[in-house]
Amino acid sequence: MAFYRGQQGSVKFDDAGTTAATILSTRSWSLSVEKESLDTTALGATYRANIGGLISGSGTVELMYTATSADETNAFIEMANSANDEGAALFELYLDTAGTKKITFDGVITSAEYGATVGELETITINFVTNGAITLDI
Amino acid sequence: MAAVNLNTVRATVEGRLATELALAPPVPVVFHNQPYTPTPGSSWVQCLVSFGGNNYLTMGGTTGSSNSVIGVVVCNIYTAKGNGPGANYTIGKRIRDLYNRVIVSGVHFDPPTGPEVVAAPSPEGYFQTQVRMTFETFEDL
Repeated sequence: MAFYRGQQGSVKFDDAGTTAATILSTRSWSLSVEKESLDTTALGATYRANIGGLISGSGTVELMYTATSADETNAFIEMANSANDEGAALFELYLDTAGTKKITFDGVITSAEYGATVGELETITINFVTNGAITLDI
Repeated sequence: MAAVNLNTVRATVEGRLATELALAPPVPVVFHNQPYTPTPGSSWVQCLVSFGGNNYLTMGGTTGSSNSVIGVVVCNIYTAKGNGPGANYTIGKRIRDLYNRVIVSGVHFDPPTGPEVVAAPSPEGYFQTQVRMTFETFEDL
């Protein structure tokens, strides 16, 4: 049985939606995949019934500020402030260093939280939602 | 990028102190694992650099990742016994000012602690205080 530690993960991103590049200095990522449930309980039924509905995802990436520029990391941390976002940005969230276990989707960066605290490293937290299919290769 | 060179960090810490204490009025300084026989009643400083905790900073394997390397500088300041703390604190201020929140060659120094009076000086026969500061440097693999 194989176990994985958090540092084996990574994040790749491409704002143009073609070839994703590694986001530098990533500390963590998370993704929640949610499926709506549709109530199909018949009148007179004893037990409630549900079927699955639309699937969506949302998540967070936390990275450290490194003053990087002219690369995908810079695009990643500034994209929340960009106009005309059509949701074509490519996200790849990896669970292993070999790069074979990943979650892929297009998405929209919905918020970016920039912060500086005395005595701590400066971090940026990016929140996103998925757009369209989510592919799980895990 | 490469694994951190501990001797480069050590040289950054020690070189800074050696340069400062060579200025007038000069104060002898001795580092880890160096023999030194102090002149009785004289002033001198012992500087000890140690590395401690290392932490994950970023995701990634043995390449394209970063670690935090933490260390501590302990400076024992010895001055003549029976003459009050003034001379000792003067040296302490020089050392404190040298590292206080300074970032040099990628080494980030935290605010110093001390000079704290050491109740039982070692070696005996001196008035001893101690200035300590932690530092952090970053390893990019």
